[in-house]
Amino acid sequence: MLEIVELTKRYGDVTAVDGVTFRVRPGVVTGFLGPNGAGKSTTMRMILGLDKPTSGSALVNGRPYVDSRAPMRELGVLLDARNVDKGRSARNHLRALGATVGIGRTRVEDLLELVGLSDVADKSAGSFSLGMGQRLGIATALLGDPSVVMLDEPVNGLDPDGIQWIRGLLKDLAAEGRTVFVSSHLMSEMELTAEHLVVIGRGRIIADMSMDDFIASASPDRVRVVSPEAVRLREPLLALAKSVTSAEAQVLEVEGVPASIIGDLAAELGVRLHELTSISASLEEAFMELTRESVQYHGAASGHATIDGARA
Amino acid sequence: MSAVTVNERTSAPAERDLRFTRVLRSEWIKQWSLRSSAITLGATLAVMILFGVVSSLSATGSVETTGPGGGGGDPFSGSGDPLATVLAGANFGVLIVSVFGVLAGAREYGSGMIRSTMAAVPARLPVLWAKVAVLVSTLLVVAVLGVFVAYFAGNAILSSADAATAQWSDEGVVRALLGNVAYLVGLGVIGLALGLILRSIGGGLGTLIGGILFLPTLASALLPDTWDSALKYLPSNAAQSFTAVAAPETLLSAGQGAVVFALWLVVAVAGAAVAIRVRDV
Repeated sequence: MLEIVELTKRYGDVTAVDGVTFRVRPGVVTGFLGPNGAGKSTTMRMILGLDKPTSGSALVNGRPYVDSRAPMRELGVLLDARNVDKGRSARNHLRALGATVGIGRTRVEDLLELVGLSDVADKSAGSFSLGMGQRLGIATALLGDPSVVMLDEPVNGLDPDGIQWIRGLLKDLAAEGRTVFVSSHLMSEMELTAEHLVVIGRGRIIADMSMDDFIASASPDRVRVVSPEAVRLREPLLALAKSVTSAEAQVLEVEGVPASIIGDLAAELGVRLHELTSISASLEEAFMELTRESVQYHGAASGHATIDGARA
Repeated sequence: MSAVTVNERTSAPAERDLRFTRVLRSEWIKQWSLRSSAITLGATLAVMILFGVVSSLSATGSVETTGPGGGGGDPFSGSGDPLATVLAGANFGVLIVSVFGVLAGAREYGSGMIRSTMAAVPARLPVLWAKVAVLVSTLLVVAVLGVFVAYFAGNAILSSADAATAQWSDEGVVRALLGNVAYLVGLGVIGLALGLILRSIGGGLGTLIGGILFLPTLASALLPDTWDSALKYLPSNAAQSFTAVAAPETLLSAGQGAVVFALWLVVAVAGAAVAIRVRDV
């Protein structure tokens, strides 16, 4: 269980994390979602005690992590896979860190096998590819058999096979009753693994809800109707729909009425339809929409209409 | 790939605790799992012993020196101190030990490993004490071996040539030998502390080597003589009072020098403790 209360971190004038409050419960995978620079890593570093909060607190299983009696057994973490001494072998890296809570060779070998690094365990960690480094980082996180697992962008650099594997792993860890907290800047990744979402933007929590609720709230059903007699449909649809917009003469975009009803209505009225398409916003779009105002680094002259130039 | 279970719920809770002895073991594994450690320490030993042997041979005239005077047969050329002759390698040992200490402190900041380390030991200070303990025990062995092997080997060479030797029973010899051991170990620890405070290998090395080797010479050359009373409190000048058999009058007494050097050591380690405790990793 992670409990984050009014957590704030300021660097000079810049507020990286701004009064963040949320809980991460055991038994489910909780996604920590936000654009780059939103404060995900800073929040995680404060939970670990690597960065001291300007104010507020973060509790791991009810107390500050600094006071943990068996740190690696309590909270396993992957922050940045490159946080290793380059000259040390993967095996010795795990042995050295595990030694702090009395983890021996057998456990180290098990973890090397679990992440698929047994064959390269004696190679120096500095020679690893990003994906192999990521696997070593995940092995480090799981080394202490921790009750809380916290991973920052774990799929970074993994091949499709590795990504599949980590999705399954995260779900298994949660099913075993652990608290699993995973950050990502990709909604598409969260969609497949997380049951609960904490969305952060510009250091503030924008949403804290179950994935189901997020999907429901984020994707209003819209239907695109193309008809040479669009005008005739407009009036009756207005009575049923939340909104009806028309970008072109023959095109209607209807929100809040299913395509089947629109089709039936058109048949009753004898209106010819050329196209009837349900458009549900992808979660990626929903996430973009949600965080649009809080994205810190917009691309300069992006052609996408979805990015609100006025804000940037 | 997932044939192995993630679970390991076999050990009793008390067996899972963080203990200082475990952090110590972690740092011990870290030190010896880098090939550079053994190489650097081996080089320290080799340099101290070989330079002592070569300098003893050249003092007895067995080896031609290239100075303008040719191969002087006079064993008292140069410093004229037989102990300085047999411990000629100590100056180079000091350099390598400094590098080793700074690396032990700054390496993890350079690589990012420090974040993995502090995530495993969030109380932070046990890491410092463990690093100090591992470094001290390692350097103690290397310094004792280097200093005493160089002493006995060098003395054997000198006495076989009937040159003056630094006898065990001579006044100040044992003190100077132990003083050299203490200086080597102490400098390593100061290096470690500087590495942890400055978080940079270059910065730590620059500060240590500049402060230890160049500052005293530079300062005494540039500053008026009236400053000498202050300069003797510099770490290297303080150390010289207990590493040489007969230190110049202008320096502190051996006892005072030891106290002053120990104070430098304490200040450096205390500074590292504050830096580790207070600063974000």
